[in-house]
Amino acid sequence: MDMTTKNPQELAKERRARLQAAINLEEPDRVPFCGVGGDIIPAYAGITQKEFNFDYDKAEKALEKFLKDFPCDWPFAAGVTGLDGRILSVAFAEYPDLALSSTFVSGPMHKTLGDKYYRFPGMETDENASPQFLGGTFMEPDEYDDLIEDPVGFVLETILPRACTNLDTPRQAMTTMVRLGMDFSQFYASAAKVGMASAQLGYPSLAIGGAYAPLDIIGDFLRGISNTVLDLRRYPDKVKKATEALTEVIIKYALAFKAIGAELAFIPLHLNEYLSPKLYKEFYWPTLKEVILTLLDEGIKSLVFFEGHHEPHLETILELPKGWGIAYFEKTDVVKAKEILKDHSCVMGGLPITLLVGGTPASIDEYIKNLFEKVKPGGGFILAPSVGTAPRETPLENLTALIEAVEKYG
Amino acid sequence: MHEELFNKIVDMDEEGSIKLAKEYLDGGGDAQKLLNVCRDAMGVIGDKFEKGEYFLSELLLGGEIFSSIMEFTLPLLKEGDIAKLGKIVLGTVKDDIHNIGKDIFKAFVEAAGFEVVDIGVDVPEEKFVEAVKEHKPDIVGMSCLITAGISSMKNTVEALKEAGLKDFKIIIGGGRVDEEVKELAGADAWADDAARGVRLCKELLGVEG
Repeated sequence: MDMTTKNPQELAKERRARLQAAINLEEPDRVPFCGVGGDIIPAYAGITQKEFNFDYDKAEKALEKFLKDFPCDWPFAAGVTGLDGRILSVAFAEYPDLALSSTFVSGPMHKTLGDKYYRFPGMETDENASPQFLGGTFMEPDEYDDLIEDPVGFVLETILPRACTNLDTPRQAMTTMVRLGMDFSQFYASAAKVGMASAQLGYPSLAIGGAYAPLDIIGDFLRGISNTVLDLRRYPDKVKKATEALTEVIIKYALAFKAIGAELAFIPLHLNEYLSPKLYKEFYWPTLKEVILTLLDEGIKSLVFFEGHHEPHLETILELPKGWGIAYFEKTDVVKAKEILKDHSCVMGGLPITLLVGGTPASIDEYIKNLFEKVKPGGGFILAPSVGTAPRETPLENLTALIEAVEKYG
Repeated sequence: MHEELFNKIVDMDEEGSIKLAKEYLDGGGDAQKLLNVCRDAMGVIGDKFEKGEYFLSELLLGGEIFSSIMEFTLPLLKEGDIAKLGKIVLGTVKDDIHNIGKDIFKAFVEAAGFEVVDIGVDVPEEKFVEAVKEHKPDIVGMSCLITAGISSMKNTVEALKEAGLKDFKIIIGGGRVDEEVKELAGADAWADDAARGVRLCKELLGVEG
């Protein structure tokens, strides 16, 4: 990653070609590397997580500093910070311009909504804690019919007022929605600034939209994880119908990103790791597959983050057409995954975040060397951390060692 | 009754197993025997999970069935009647607010016969220290989901050492822990699922089964 000899445009072009080759299942000039983000960014800039989440000026500077000093090919995890806000995307699905602004809930949006889904530093937790998603139960089992009947109306009119303390009364709700609109503007203005700074540093611009697995909307935002898993046994037909009703809504909001030229839709999965293959194939995969296939028809490939262990469900990925997108794995062994998905899916992942935290420059060098021997041949692989959130105490020399190892063995 | 109930629990028949347990007690059945059957069934569910036959979905449902039956069974037992394998102080470490992993582990380790003192989530080091002083556990269990929890675990182990507390084992658990984190934190064992966690707790105390 020699920044001295190449201008930013050349560098961005080179990095994009590298990523594009991997996504197209070809062998790039070097294994592309998707960098880390998270707590380490404010820590490196000497600011608190609270400042990073609530002070856009400081956050932009911190991001720029980190992206400059710890280069990668694709800073997917290092952007303006927010947590998945897909319940809002569902609520605003009928208005594409709003749907595409509501992918993330930032600290200021959380403050405006007074929601019970998230915990932000300096509010509910320590000013140096990571922003966290907690979720919860905001829907009763006898309400599945309402959800099936009108998912958007039910989420907007029934769920959000329950989940957000500042939507209690119509009077509060109006004020809150005006403020939320202002928060959206500020968030995207900041994202645009970071985008410009990234371009100056030679990072490719890659427009990314979002989608979600329908059952995860229920698990994360409506019934809670445990209740949803129990509902699969208690009310199987209702849950299935609800995921079908949500599929259409999710596709609608995901297609809103065509307006910004989205090439990829990011789909982080949660319940995949909880389900037996039988439950996965019956309640989770069919509607997720439909989302992926519909987006693909519309020219948007998917970047699916298979959280946790996805080994029991790996074969189902082969039901998708070749070149459908990127399979990003957390704890699934990428060497095994690549054997199964070779010449079919671009495989991403491979770097345990715990190695970056607990390892040494030597052990990281050794690890990357061994890993690349196995996954580099044939291409179609992107190196990425198992989880993008590098903690505050991540040794900086480990980050540098990682970057050097990628150059050396990639 | 015993075999039928055991099978119903292992087969995840929620309604059927609860009904059968109630009928058994209503008919003058022995609460201690019922508890033992439920415990055995939970043990098998854990084994099936470790063998890859069962998944988190079954652990959650198994835990739910167990606690539903215990709700009307435990009040029939006297405190001294319930044999304990050991005591565990359990919490999610500082700056991490997640509880699901901790709660699944708690259900299974209690079912295995351990007494659990649950000290909650986002638990600061000093609260772990206080709880250990007060409850004198055999095991301290720390859970975390997010990566920030890694250093919180390390700091908590150090705080326990600095307070001069010993004579207990430390197990860490959660989605982001592995051998690397165990070494870094200075714990005795790690588990990223509840079934393995229960097995290791028994091993740490040298308990059979």
